[in-house]
Formats: sequence, structure tokens, C-alpha cells
Amino acid sequence: MAGGFRKPSVLPGFGLTLGFTTFFLSALVLLPLAALVLKATALTWSEFVAVLLDERAVASYRLTFGAAFLAAFVNAVFGFVVAWSLVRYDFPGRRLVDAFIDLPFALPTAVSGIALATVFSPSGWLGQKLALAGVQVAYTWVGVVVALILIGLPFVVRSVQPALVEVQRELEDAAETLGARPWQVFQRIILPAVLPALLTGFTLAFARGIGEYGSVVFISGNLPMKTEITPLLIVIKLEQYDYNGAAALGFIMLVMSFVMLFAINLVQTWGRRRQVASGR
Amino acid sequence: MNPPTHLRARFMSIALDQVTKRYQSIPVVNDVSLKVEQGEFLVLLGPSGSGKSTLLRAIAGLTEIDHGRVSLHGRDVTGVSARDREVGFVFQHYALFRHMTVANNIEFALRVRGVRAAERRARRTELLRLVALEGMDDRLPTELSGGQQQRVAVARALAHRPQVLLMDEPFGALDAKIREELRRTIRQIQRELGIATILVTHDQEEAFALADRIGVMHQGRLLECGPPDDLYTRPATRFVATFLGAANLMLGYRTGEGIRFAAPSASGLPPREVVAVLRPEEVELAADADDVRSNFVGYGQVQEILFAGAVERLRVQMPEDGPVPVAPGRDDALGAVLEVSRTLPEQREFPVGVGRRVAVGARRTHVLPTPISSFTVVADDPARARVLRESPLLSTLTARMQTRLNVRLERGSAAPPGMPVLATGPGSAQAVQWHLEHGAEHLLCLPTAAGVPDRVVIFAPDTEARRSTFAVAASLLRHIPAEAIYLSIRPSGTPETDRTDSMRQLLDARSGALAEHGLDMRTEVRFGDVSTELLREMLAHEPSMLVIGVGSAAAVPAWFAQLLEGAVQRPILIVQAPGAEPSAES
Repeated sequence: MAGGFRKPSVLPGFGLTLGFTTFFLSALVLLPLAALVLKATALTWSEFVAVLLDERAVASYRLTFGAAFLAAFVNAVFGFVVAWSLVRYDFPGRRLVDAFIDLPFALPTAVSGIALATVFSPSGWLGQKLALAGVQVAYTWVGVVVALILIGLPFVVRSVQPALVEVQRELEDAAETLGARPWQVFQRIILPAVLPALLTGFTLAFARGIGEYGSVVFISGNLPMKTEITPLLIVIKLEQYDYNGAAALGFIMLVMSFVMLFAINLVQTWGRRRQVASGR
Repeated sequence: MNPPTHLRARFMSIALDQVTKRYQSIPVVNDVSLKVEQGEFLVLLGPSGSGKSTLLRAIAGLTEIDHGRVSLHGRDVTGVSARDREVGFVFQHYALFRHMTVANNIEFALRVRGVRAAERRARRTELLRLVALEGMDDRLPTELSGGQQQRVAVARALAHRPQVLLMDEPFGALDAKIREELRRTIRQIQRELGIATILVTHDQEEAFALADRIGVMHQGRLLECGPPDDLYTRPATRFVATFLGAANLMLGYRTGEGIRFAAPSASGLPPREVVAVLRPEEVELAADADDVRSNFVGYGQVQEILFAGAVERLRVQMPEDGPVPVAPGRDDALGAVLEVSRTLPEQREFPVGVGRRVAVGARRTHVLPTPISSFTVVADDPARARVLRESPLLSTLTARMQTRLNVRLERGSAAPPGMPVLATGPGSAQAVQWHLEHGAEHLLCLPTAAGVPDRVVIFAPDTEARRSTFAVAASLLRHIPAEAIYLSIRPSGTPETDRTDSMRQLLDARSGALAEHGLDMRTEVRFGDVSTELLREMLAHEPSMLVIGVGSAAAVPAWFAQLLEGAVQRPILIVQAPGAEPSAES
């Protein structure tokens, strides 16, 4: 980059684009976040700590992050399977299924939440059957995970799909002629090739799960200490006009989310470095 | 470089028996039988879509076959998956694992077999030395050039000491210089390891440079297989003659003094028409027929001259009814064009310019053993002749054989040279009989708008006629992608002991046809009445065709008329036993 970082491109001027990016980020992301932090600082330190370490709050963190992580993990596994069958097989109705994947993107989250609650409530279709087996989904942490799985699935599928298309059949053929068993082909050839995409999908699903509110509140039952997620707690605080408390909780969510996403990003960069080093 | 002895520890040869692979019922690999010896380097050569890559994948076990057997080193591996076949496969686009280093790529086959690290490392070092990439262990594939990547791919394919090395256009993605260099490396490695190798390519230069033997594939069939110089100087088929280097296909006549190109005199029976291969470099040009020192062909006009360094390439326009067949598909206005190449001394001796009339001589020609030379449609009026000429089967055959299609509107005193073509229908049995009695060795009967068959039934009840029937059928099947079935029909009352006997005869005939004519057929036995069984066989499949061998014209059986003039009509090729002397002048 000896000639500076102004390289000719189709978009007008480096200055203009960078300016736009900065403005956009500031106005829509940084400014509101700064306001949040500012609001939180209205509390004294001890007040702040009290809000954060409130028993109910701590329980909600555990549920929010735990459920989001678990749901993202489940999605990584099943999203991969879904993407695999969409890419590798041609079955009747494949396009229809493909279109279906995006539905959770488009649906108002409250709608999915109500739908899930209807199905999984003890009197619902699935809820009845599961109740017989002694499993209760609605109004437990399991319900929260189920809702987050529904919301997060498209992120994984859509991230993994293009990466899977890229894996040439020839590579699998090569591995086979070299004596690799099917699971070895999967483990050594296919998985490494799609891992970065899978991790991206996981991260997106996880991030979405942390912030999810609409679909969860209907199925979780919102029992304090048990099935109450942090976003709900914030809303409750707002309803009680405790703006500073809400801001404090928002702030801590912000920090925790950022730390976790950043960590995943680091892992990803580390994993991808070898491929990136080779370019192309 | 001294080959480590354990590198040559195991040997293996490849044997294919009637391998057939169909895609949507169309055979892309059609009845291929082939043997590769230990240490032999075989190049499969053919245009794209000839089925050569599919065949290679079938040998590796990457493609399942529909019929036939694959054996590696005497072990039948037809049902064995690729991972258990112990082959090394090199892909056109390298197929290296990009997330692995060179070392890990090469060690892959050992790693999945659970070989210990120290042993893996030793093997890797040895292989890297073999492909001249020492010290590249920790590079990533994308940090290497194309040629280096392919070297890694070769090393990787050899890591598990496969007994067979298969390469699918391994130089296809490389530029000329690197290609040549890598070619040498591969030939050297192959010699060192003494490993049976099959390489697929469409590049004949590459085939000549590498092969111990070349197998030429076309339309799913393995047409010919032999040492490169044999295939070039003595091809057996039109396709191989024109695909390996440039060649003019000529129609000549076998006479007492050898091959002559002048049209035969009208009187008497026609001399036997043959197809001769005349390489451009074997053409002699002179001012007049008397100056021609070699076999005089005819007069032509120089149409185009291209100077290409040491040689001069010319196109000489010959008369349309001359010895060079009009290649159909070319612009009709071009007529018959003879390709000529001349060296500098030849150019100095007799300089020519565009438009000049020249006498053409053939220094050396090679006569193809093909029994089908040209076609002559015999019909009563031009309209009917046209219908026959334009039938998909006949136009396909003339185009693919690059031969001439004549029209004759009256019978004359003798059958035309080459293969007469008649229409089926009322009166055709009599016409067939007449032609067989008047010098035709074989003839083709076509129903109106006969399509190209994908199934050819061969039936030769007469032992005398069997050999020539197989020769004609083999020639036919080289030009249409159809399956061949050799049918035997026995009376329904045949006792059990005779049945096994006839089965054996059938298989003998089959292996004879394969050995002598390269014709691979499936065999079937029917018990019952001949005409009923033949009709049933023809009806069972559409579009099918019948090749039938008869003893002599007099012995053309009565049921024959039923086939020719009956309600169900299929193309029928009739071959007469060579011993059957045509009756003299009528």
C-alpha cells in the first residue's frame, strides 16, 4: 500500500465514503449507546453495583446468555444439516423449503412467540404429548431455548449454504481415493472448509438470541428468578420509571455481548488466518 | 535419482471387462474391455465427451458402472468402493486440500490409515524429493504455482503406495512450458516406480510423448489400442486415422496392381472399393500426370496455401466425383478437398501458386480394414432416392464416416461399388436378391425416415458369413453409439445338451469378434422359430436395427421377405458370405 490507501474504486472518493461511514455509525450506533452509558452513570457506584448484582438480575443473565448460547449451538448443528440437504440433494419441494428458512426473519417476533406458546403450552398440540412424557417446554427455560432456536436458524443456514456450495465434490473424491472413510472426509475436508462460515452463523444466531425479546416473553412465562430474561427485566424497570436501572442493565448487557462477540471474532480470525494468508 | 526399493514393492495391472456406464439410458462408456500391464503407461485419448474421464473414474471407483467388471491386480473390485481400491488419482484441477499444508496434503492418505508420525514424515520427504519439491513442506497449496500444485497432487496420490496411478487431464490447466516439464517428471516417476498408469487427455501430442500404448476413445467406445507409431501408420478405423494427425480419406479400388484411384471401367463387375488413408505429407504434387512418380490420383486445383515455417500447407480442390470423398458437413461448394503438406525441398522442386492445376500422386497409402467404403442409394425415382438419402440413419453414417453418398436411379448391369442402399417395402426382397447376385457384398435396407438405432441386433446363422458380418457390424457400431447384441436362435425342441453347446459357440463367436474386430457384444440365446423370434426382438425395442449374415444369394431364406416387406420395418444390413461367388454376367 505504498501509494497510500486511496485506491480507485467504483464508489466516489475515499473521503466521502469514510465520512459517511463515520457519520452513520455515530448517529445510529455510537450516539445512542453513549446516551445509554451516560444514563447509567447517573447512578452512584454502589447503586450501580446493587442493580447489577441483584439476585433477579444475575439469574436473568444466566438464562439469557445460557439459552442464547445453547440455542446457537443447536442451530449450528441442525443449521448445518439443513444447509447440507439443501445444497447437496435435489428433492421435490427443495425451493419451497429454501424459502421457508427465511420465514423467521420476516415474521414479527411476537407472532412466532405466540405461535410457539400455542403449540407448546400444556394444552397445545405438542405440549400435550410432551406433558405425557413428563417434559414441559412452555414456561420453562426449555421454552426460551426453543424460541431462540426458531429465531436463530436462518442465520446459520444462510451463512453455511454458500460455503458448502464452494466445497468441490472433487475434494471429496480425492479424499476418497486416498482411502478416507466417510466420517474422515467430513471431519477433515468438509468441516474445515465450512468452519469459518459456521462460526459466523453461530455468532449471528447467538447475538440475535441475546437481544431477542418478542418471541421469548410469550413462551417463557416470565417467572422471576426462573424464566425471566434480561431484556424483559429492562422493560419491567422502564415500566416502573426506573430509567437509570434500565440503563445500567442495558449497559452491562452491552459490555457482556461485546466481550463475547469479540472473543468469537478473535477465534474466527485465528482459525481463518491460514486460509486468508493464502488469499483467494 | 535411485528409486527406493520399497517404492516398487507392489505391482498391479488393470483389467476391464465389458465396462458399460449409462447416463439416462445413453451409454457414455460402451462395452469397454482393456488390459494394462504392470509398469505400462497407457494414454486414453479422445475428444471431449468420448467417455474417457468417465471410464477413468469407473476404474477408480468414483463412478459406479452398470455392466461389466473391473479388476486390479487380479482382484475383482467392481463392487469395492474407491477408498478400498488402493489407486492413486490425480485430478485436472489438482483438488488439493487448501486448508492443509503441502506436508499434510501428502500425508493425508497415511494419516487416515493411522500411520505413525515418524513413518509419515519419512515417506513425505521421499515423495517431495521424487517430485522435486524438497523443503516445500510447510507451504500452503495456494502459495504454489500451478505446476508445483500438480506435483504435490502427484506426490499425494502416490503416498499410500497405490498399485495403479490414474490421471485425469493432469496438465489441462497448465501452460505449455510447465506442461512439458511436468510431463517429463511424470514419465520419469512412472518409470522409476514401475506403476501401471492410465492418463486421460485430448491432446495427441501429450499422448505421443507419454504413452507406451494409446487407446483412442470415441462415443464411449474404445476404438483402437496400440503403440503410438502403429496407430499412426496403420490405423484400423476412420476416426483414429483422422484424429491422430491429419489424414485424407480416399476411396480407391483394389486391383491386380495394387490400389488405384481412377474410377473403374464400366464393364464387368466392379473391383472392390476400399478406404485408403493418405497423410498430407505423403501427397506428391506435379505439373502433369506423367511427372507424378508415385501412384497417380487425379488432377486438382490449388485452392489455398498456408506457409507454416518449415512446411507449406495446401488445400487442393479435387473433382467432386474424384477419389477424395466430399466431407459432408463442410460447405458443399468446397467439394472434395485434399489436404497437402510439403517440405521446403518439395516446394523448391515444384513451386505452385493459388489457382494452379496440379497432378496429384499418393506416395504411401494405408488401406483401412473397414468393409464399408461408400454408400449408393438405388431407387426408381429422384423423390424416393431423396427420402432415403435424407433418412437420419444414412445421413449420420455418411457424415460420421466422412464418405460419399451416391445416387443411382437405374439398376445397371451390376451392383454399385461400396454399399448399396435400398428401400424396404413391397418388392424389396427381390431387389436385395438381385444385388446380392450381382456383386454386392453387403447392402442396407432402410424403411422411410429410418432413425439412428441405439440397439443393434446381430444375427449370423450362417457360419461362413459370420466373420464378414462381424466386420461390417463392428464398422457400423464405431459410428453410432448403440449397444450390440449377438443373437442366436435355436429350434424350440433343442435338447438340453445341445443348449449348453450352442451357448459355448455363442461365447466363442463373441470373443472372436472382440479379438479380431474390436467388436464387443452381449450375447443372447432364443429358442423358437427364426422369423418369429427376430420379429419379437425387433419389436421389443425402438429404435433398433438388424445386422444379418447370409450364406449366399441363393440361400436367402423365405422368411426374409417377411422382415423386409412386413408391417414392422427396421433398418436391416445384410452381409453376404465372402465365399459366395456372384453369378457371372447376366
